[in-house]
Amino acid sequence: MLYPIFEFPGVGGGMIIAAIATFHILPCHLATGGFWMAWYLERRGHATHDQELLDYIKRFALLILIFCFVTGSITGAGIWFASTIISPRAISGLIHNYVWGWATEWVFFLIEVVTIYTYYYTFGKVKPKTHMRIGLIYAWSAWISMVIITGILAFMMTPGKWLETGGFFDGFFNPTYWPQLFYRTMMMLAISGMFAALLAGFMKSGPTKTYVIKTAGRWGLISLSLGALFAVWYYFKLPANAHETLSGVPYDQIMFKISLGIGAVMALYFALLLTGREILVKPVLALLMIVVMFVGIGGGESVREYSRRPYLIPGVMYSNQIVAHDLEAKGIKSEVTRYQEEGFLQNNYFVPPEWRRIDEKNYMQAGMLLTKANCVICHTMEVNGRSSLPGLVTEMGSTSASELNDFLETMGEDYNFMPAFSGNPQERRAAAAFIASIVPDNENEPPTAEWVVNGE
Amino acid sequence: MDINTALQALRDPFGVPFFPWVFQLLMVLTFALHIISVNLAVGGIAVSVYEHFKGGEYNRKLSQMLAKVATISLSSAIVLGVAPLLFVQVIYDPFWYVSNSLSAWWAIAFLLFITLGFLAHYVFYLKRHKNPAGYGLFGLSGLVFVLAAGVVMSALSVQALVPGAWLDWYSANGSLVTTGTTLYKFELGRFLHFIVPSFINIGIFMMLYAWYFRPRADIDGAWLDWVGRAGVKVAKIATMIEIVIGFWWLVMIPADLGFLHNHWLWLGSLLGLLLMVGLMKAEKDPERFAVPMALLSFIAVFGMSAAREVLRMVYVGAFKYSIYDYPVNVDWGSTALFLGTFVMGLIVMAYPLIVVFKLGRGRLSES
Ligand code: HEC
Repeated sequence: MLYPIFEFPGVGGGMIIAAIATFHILPCHLATGGFWMAWYLERRGHATHDQELLDYIKRFALLILIFCFVTGSITGAGIWFASTIISPRAISGLIHNYVWGWATEWVFFLIEVVTIYTYYYTFGKVKPKTHMRIGLIYAWSAWISMVIITGILAFMMTPGKWLETGGFFDGFFNPTYWPQLFYRTMMMLAISGMFAALLAGFMKSGPTKTYVIKTAGRWGLISLSLGALFAVWYYFKLPANAHETLSGVPYDQIMFKISLGIGAVMALYFALLLTGREILVKPVLALLMIVVMFVGIGGGESVREYSRRPYLIPGVMYSNQIVAHDLEAKGIKSEVTRYQEEGFLQNNYFVPPEWRRIDEKNYMQAGMLLTKANCVICHTMEVNGRSSLPGLVTEMGSTSASELNDFLETMGEDYNFMPAFSGNPQERRAAAAFIASIVPDNENEPPTAEWVVNGE
Repeated sequence: MDINTALQALRDPFGVPFFPWVFQLLMVLTFALHIISVNLAVGGIAVSVYEHFKGGEYNRKLSQMLAKVATISLSSAIVLGVAPLLFVQVIYDPFWYVSNSLSAWWAIAFLLFITLGFLAHYVFYLKRHKNPAGYGLFGLSGLVFVLAAGVVMSALSVQALVPGAWLDWYSANGSLVTTGTTLYKFELGRFLHFIVPSFINIGIFMMLYAWYFRPRADIDGAWLDWVGRAGVKVAKIATMIEIVIGFWWLVMIPADLGFLHNHWLWLGSLLGLLLMVGLMKAEKDPERFAVPMALLSFIAVFGMSAAREVLRMVYVGAFKYSIYDYPVNVDWGSTALFLGTFVMGLIVMAYPLIVVFKLGRGRLSES
């Protein structure tokens, strides 16, 4: 049964989740990777008694503390809140399967919060060995929190054996788990290289600065190259459906190409850093590179998001939060089938009582509710909105209610990226009537109430 | 379809992976920890800003110290808030998700408020020396944003408790309200009951602070005396206010829920009174009473968290909803994973905390 619908005007809710998620990746990968870099440099700083390097690390730690830890945890919560209001049943489903996974991750968050503040505030006040040990505890726990969340992210793409057993670990260690984990680990190191370069730009010239620049380049280049290898592995592990979307949907292709192109640009930048030239880390340039990298990550993430369509939990729940298929292991029955047979309106609570039975007066409103419940997660209702429903219908050319009714009847089979329509034949006609009514300058005769209610 | 049936049907089809009471217990415990952090953050910012504007050497010094405490408390509050938010979605999912969907923009606004509050406070903390009056305003707006976030959270929790009103809100004026722009229900008494303890807890924190740094020769003893005395005063006044607010909120709770006869409620009130008596005694020697008062307040917050959950059970019970009959699909492996990690985490966290504790007390040689 569905929750109340929330419509995000203009761009649609999916876009909001994607935007927050992209923004989350920068700080969170830096928060996870940055301390490996800090630890590496701090060891060297103590060994060579390089105070300048130590000062640099302290600034780096403050950057991680404020920028990453704070914005990382807030945007992390942001993805969660955005999912809560846009697809509550999806986040609920994930939580009910993976609550202990998240709770375990949360323990590592606690360790992180304690160690990062300790690290920063005890800088120069405790023995180097103690201090570095605290940094290392942070680095490990941050990485382990990635180890955990990757399992849940990968599960959403390739649930693997879980579909038969429903077991926690069967879903966790799924077919794309290992490639994703290695790939993300490498990305995290590359991102920390990028930020190290950015911060180097604020140091005064000299051998320490050159050293940091070269180190940043080396980390970036090595991890990006390895990351590319793992990405290939990851690609081959993707299910057939994802490959189809990747070669069939133009938007998805563009995003894929963007992320590849940017990967190459980043690799080139890191290679140049190996020369140690200071001009390369001028703040404007470094910031620009961060923006470029941000776009690349955004591209990669939208490919991941797209390849899940039309599912939120593959094989179980459609993107519009309706349970698509039976799942025996958990005793779950398909809702699509039930709604198609018994009706959507009768089986849902969040329907104004006057609309529960379709008649001559309310069919347009009922049609609106049905359309939103089925489609609003991927399409906006505005003519000029992103992935606009009236716009797409106009382009498709089938704009009469009866053509749209036929379209709705078979959309689940005709398009592998769209779910089947949830609703009985009468409800389908009401939705068709509503969709026809929002198509701008529709030249077709509007359907009669008689047709919607009785089918003739 | 009536709302009672709907609540059952809205439950997640996957069921819960362990016995519901375990999630409930964890939720109550972690909520208490979360609210203590929130209290220290709000109280810390508020007193810090107040002392900042008041001026004077001691006041400014206290202000700076509390501002720093507030940065750490805010971070902790966010991280500690994750757990109760997770567990509430496990056992009370229908309530939480409906409330959020109906007021979607406010759920987003909550994040915005937290972010702005955090940033404003950091600016205040790091830049305040430059231009005290100007940057004091950052401190003030930090406080306002953090409180605004609290108001939203409190409202979302209250809305969750009144399922009978949901469909009316959703289908107002014969249409479908999918805009999520309205915040429908807020109880000032309830909100204040969770926020006023900020001053109790930051007051007790100041007492603890004086106690903790006393052994340090390099810290001005007269200042510590002053901090301890100021702390006990703030805590005492706040406790009196809290007791009055408690009664006020109580008369606002619908009488037919019968909460008045609940022994959790009376246990909570008893703890409040004990705290009051203790603080009155502590006025003579704040440092000696610092640790016992902190423990008592800690217990009182746990009592408050438990009473809050009992109240929720009373509210949802009116709709025949009980978490104890939530369908369970026990998953031993992942449960063990969490419990094991949790114990390990406590041990690991002890290490940096011990380092800090010793360092602060001057018992760790500097390198
Ligand atoms: C899982 C997401 C998703 C859902 C849910 C969804 N669609 Fe789509 N739909 C898409 C995508 C992706 C496209 C391709 C868009 C493009 O080419 O820009 C598309 C395309 C379309 C098109 C154009 C088809 C063509 O042949 O040109 C129409 C019409 C359409 N959708 C209608 C609907 C309707 C009506 C619903 C609800 C009953 C719906 N969609 C639900 C994802 C979705």
